Amino acid sequence: MNWNKKFLHYLNYNVPLTVILLILIGFLAISSAVEINQVDSNALVFMQKQAVSVILGLLLVFIIQAFDYRIFKEYSPIIYLLMLALLGITLFLGRTVAGGKRWLSIGPVNFQTAELAKIMLVLVLAAVIDNNSDDMGYLKGMFWPSVIAFIPFVLVILQNDLGTALVLFFIYFVMLFAGGGNIKYMAVVFGGGFLIIILIISAHLLIDTPLPFLHEYQLNRLIVFVNPDIDPYGSGYNIIQSKIALGSGRIFGRGLFSGTQNQLNFLPEKHTDFIFSVIGEEFGFFGSGIVILLFLFLIWQFLNIASDARDRYGYLVVIGITAMFLFHILENIGMTMGIMPITGIPLPFISYGGTFMLISLMAVGIVININLRKNKLMF
Amino acid sequence: MDRLKLLKIIVLVIFIMLLSRAAYLQIFNGDYFLELSEGNRISVRPINAPRGKIYDSRGEVIVSNRLTYNLYLMQNEIPPDSSVEEILMKLAKLSSISKDRLIDNFNNKEIKSYAEPILLVRHLSKEDMVIIAENNDLLPGLIVKESSLRDYIHPETLVHTTGYIGEINLDELKKFNNEGYDYKPGDFVGKGGLEKEYEFYLDGIQGAEQIEVDSRGVKIKTLGIKKPEPGDNLILNIDFQLQQAAEKTLMKNYEELRLKAKEDEERSMPIGAAAFVMDIDTGKVIVSASIPDYNLNLFAEGISTEDYLDLSRSLLKPMLNRTVMSAFPPGSIFKLVTGTAAMEELGVRADTSFYDANAAFYLPNWSIPFRNWNPVGEGKLNFVKAIARSNNIVFYELGYDLYREFNGDKLSEYAKKYGLGSRTNIDLPSEKSGLVPNDKWKRENLNQGWYPGDSVNLSIGQGSLLTTPVQIAQLISVVASEGKSYQPKIVDRIVSPEGDLIKENKQEINIDLREEVSEKTFKTLKQGMYDVVNKNYGTAYRHFRDYPVDIAGKTGTAQTSVALNNHAWFAGFAPFEDPEIAVVVLLENGGSSAYTVPIAREIMDYYFGFKNLNNGAGKVYYYDNED
Repeated sequence: MNWNKKFLHYLNYNVPLTVILLILIGFLAISSAVEINQVDSNALVFMQKQAVSVILGLLLVFIIQAFDYRIFKEYSPIIYLLMLALLGITLFLGRTVAGGKRWLSIGPVNFQTAELAKIMLVLVLAAVIDNNSDDMGYLKGMFWPSVIAFIPFVLVILQNDLGTALVLFFIYFVMLFAGGGNIKYMAVVFGGGFLIIILIISAHLLIDTPLPFLHEYQLNRLIVFVNPDIDPYGSGYNIIQSKIALGSGRIFGRGLFSGTQNQLNFLPEKHTDFIFSVIGEEFGFFGSGIVILLFLFLIWQFLNIASDARDRYGYLVVIGITAMFLFHILENIGMTMGIMPITGIPLPFISYGGTFMLISLMAVGIVININLRKNKLMF
Repeated sequence: MDRLKLLKIIVLVIFIMLLSRAAYLQIFNGDYFLELSEGNRISVRPINAPRGKIYDSRGEVIVSNRLTYNLYLMQNEIPPDSSVEEILMKLAKLSSISKDRLIDNFNNKEIKSYAEPILLVRHLSKEDMVIIAENNDLLPGLIVKESSLRDYIHPETLVHTTGYIGEINLDELKKFNNEGYDYKPGDFVGKGGLEKEYEFYLDGIQGAEQIEVDSRGVKIKTLGIKKPEPGDNLILNIDFQLQQAAEKTLMKNYEELRLKAKEDEERSMPIGAAAFVMDIDTGKVIVSASIPDYNLNLFAEGISTEDYLDLSRSLLKPMLNRTVMSAFPPGSIFKLVTGTAAMEELGVRADTSFYDANAAFYLPNWSIPFRNWNPVGEGKLNFVKAIARSNNIVFYELGYDLYREFNGDKLSEYAKKYGLGSRTNIDLPSEKSGLVPNDKWKRENLNQGWYPGDSVNLSIGQGSLLTTPVQIAQLISVVASEGKSYQPKIVDRIVSPEGDLIKENKQEINIDLREEVSEKTFKTLKQGMYDVVNKNYGTAYRHFRDYPVDIAGKTGTAQTSVALNNHAWFAGFAPFEDPEIAVVVLLENGGSSAYTVPIAREIMDYYFGFKNLNNGAGKVYYYDNED
C-alpha cells in the first residue's frame, strides 16, 4: 500500500513519541501508587488492566488511520444521536461508583460513556461550526453550536458528573472562539452566566436558597478550594495531603516507591486523580516539570497540526481535542497543586483508568489522521 | 489565523502558571513540606473504628461495644536521644505493666514500617492510664487511644451463632490483605459464628490522624484526619427472647439427664444438645441453640492461652455449634425420606397395608434378623400408621423393595433431593455437609460394594448416614410446605451505622421438589407426622396430649456405632393446618427420643405464647378448646 508511505511523509513524529513517553511515565507512577513493591498488593491486576487499555487504544490509533477523517463530518448527525442515546441510557441504566461517574456495563466491560461524549461532541461541534462559518460573527451562527452542546451538557450534569460537564463546556467555549464566534457576545453571555452562578452560590450560602445543578459536597469542594484551612479534616484534607506530597519531593524527588505520602496512603485516589502528586513526590520538580513540559510540547504540536489542517473541519476537530486535553491537564495538575478545585478528572495518558486512556488515544488517532492528510494536493 | 495565536498565548500562560506553581511548592517550599511529611516531624496515629453491632429480630441489642483504651508505641515519635528499649523500661518501672509483657508485645508484631503504630497493651487499666498521662513528657512515642471491646449483653446466650473474636493471625492477615482489605497486626477479627461470616461487614475502617510533632516528640498540630468508619450492623432473624427460653429449656433438660445418668448407670448421659427453629415460609432462623457453650466474655479482651486450651480440649466440645458443625445419624426421622421414595417409586399409598408379625425382618440368605424397636410384633398396619408407630419392619421392607426394584442408590438419591449430604449454606461458617452413603461412596471409602443390608439399614436412618440439625429442619420444611424449603438465614439484613440498608438477605428457595414429588405424597407424610403426635399410638403422643395448637412431628433414635448411647431427635412443625415453624431438637447420646419431645413442646409453648417470655412478648394464640 503505497499511500501509507505518502501519508507517513507528513507524520509529525513528535506526537506519537510524546504520547508514548507520557504513557510510560504513567506506568511507572501507577506501579508506585498501587504499591507494586509490596508483597501482598494486587498491583499486577491494575497494571494488566492499564496495559490492556493502552494496547487497545494503540490499535484504535491505527484503525482510525484507515478512514479519511471527513467521514466524521459526513456522519456527524448519527454520531450526535448516538451520543445522546448513550448518555440517556447511562442516565437510566448506568451505575455509579462512589457517588461519582456513571458506568455502563456491557457484559464484563464497564464504560464511562461521558468520556466518549467528549470526543463525540468535538466531532459534531466541528461540523456544525464549519457549516455555519459564514455566520459565526453573528448570534445566528452561534445559535446551533450552542444548542448542540447544551443538550449533552445537561445530560452529563444530570449524571451528577460536574467534572465532565466542565470539560464539555470548555471544549464548546474554545471551539466557538477558534471557530470565529463573536467575542463581544461571548464575553457578555459567559461573563453574565458566570456572575449569575456566583450570585446563586452566594445566595445559597447567605440566605439558604436552593442550589440548582450542584450537590452540597461539590459546593463544599469549591469553598474548601478557596480556603482549605476551613476544613482540614474533611474536604480540605485531600488538598493539604497532595500539596505535602508534591512539595516534599523538592527538586529531585524522594525516589521511586519512596514517597511516604503515597506509600502510607495519605494521598487519596492516588493512582487515578492524584497521580501527579505521586510523580511530584517521588521525582520532584525534575519529574513534575518534565511532565508539564511534555504536555506543553504535545499541545503545541496539536496547535501546529490544527493550523496546517487541510480544511476548516479538520482545524476545528484538532482545536476541540486540544481543548479537551488542555482542560484535563490544567484541572488535574492544578487540583493537585491546590490552584484548581477538586473534581474527578484524570490526567491524560498517565492516570489509571481504561475508559479515558482509550478516549485519549482515540483522540490522538484522530489528530494524527488530520495531520497525515494535511496536503491538499494529494487528493 | 489570529485566534490561533491568541490560543497559543493562553496555552503558554497556563503552562507557565503550572510550572511556576510546581516550582513554588517543590523548590521554594520543598524543605517545609519535606519536614512535614518526614518521619521525624510527622506521625500518623490510629483512630479506631468500632465494630458493627448485632441486633435481634425485635431490635434488641445482642452484641455492642464498650469503650476501652489501648496503648500504642509510635517509633517515629521517639526523639533521637532516646530509644524504644529505654522508653519501655521507663514505662515498666512506672506502671503495673511488666517489662517482659511489653517487650514480648513489641517483638511479636510484624512491623512494616517505622511509622506504623504498634499495639503494646490492649484494654489499659485506669491506674496505668493515669500514670502514662501524668508522665507524658517522660514517655515520648507512647500514645493512648480510644478503642472498643465487644460488649455482650448476655454473654452466655446465642454463643455459637454470635461467635467469638480474637487477634488476627498471620495467615488471616495475609489472606485478608490479599483480598483487598486493610488489616493490621493486633486487629481483632471474627473467629467463629456471625462474627466470622460477616467479618468484612462488621469490621470498621480505621481512621488516622496525621500530626506534626516537635523534636521532643510532642504534638504541635494536626495536619489531617482520616475519619474512622464504624462497621455495619447486623439485624438477625433470631428472636432473642425465644432463643433465651429455648436455651434455658434445653439446658435444664440436658442437666437433669446428666444428673440422672450419674445416679443410674443404666441411663445414658447426653454429651450435647441442640435446638433449631426455622420459619417455614421464609427460611428465617428464629432459634439456633447448641449446648454446652461457653462465656463470650472470655474472648472479649483476647482469650488467654490456658482458657482457650481448656475450651478446645474439653470432651464435651463446648466450642462446637451442634446445629451446623456436627452431623449425626437421623434415625427414624429419615423414614420421611424412605416414605417419599416408597410412595413415588413403589406406588405405596396412605392405606397400603403391611404386616409386622414378630418384630423381625429377614433378608433372603441371611439368618440374622433386623429388629423393630418394639420387641412385640405390631400386626397389621397401614402406611400412615407405620409412620406414626415408626415401625421399622415396614420401612425395612420398603428399603429392601427399593433395592430390589431399582438399586442401592435409589434411596440415597431421594435423600440428596431433600438436601441431605450437602450444605444448606446457612450464613454460618464451618457448616458440615453430612453424608449420604451410596454405592460409589462405599466403594471409594470402605472398599466394599453396596449390600441389600445397607439399603435396609439406610431405610431407618442408620448406617453411615449423617445429618445436621439444620438439614433436618430443611427436610421438615419441605414436607410441611409440601415441596419447598427456603435457605436458612440467621441474618435478616445489614445496615450502616446511619441505618441505611447495606444488604438484605433475600429469601431463596433452596430445595424445590414440587415438580418431582406429588402433593399426595407430602399430605400422607404429614398425616403420619400428625398421628405421631395426636394419635394415642403415636410415638410422641404423651407430651402433646390436648395441646391447643395442632402439632405434627417425627421422633428419631439413632444408634451410634460406638458403645455410646443413642442420639435422640424430635423434628416437627406447627401449626398442622398452616405450618409456620419447623422445630428440631437433638440430644447427642441422649438415649431416647422420648427426652426430646418435652423440650420441643416447651419451645413451642413459648413460641405460641402459652408460656410467657421474659417480658410477656410471646405470640398470643386464641383457640377453641374442643373439650
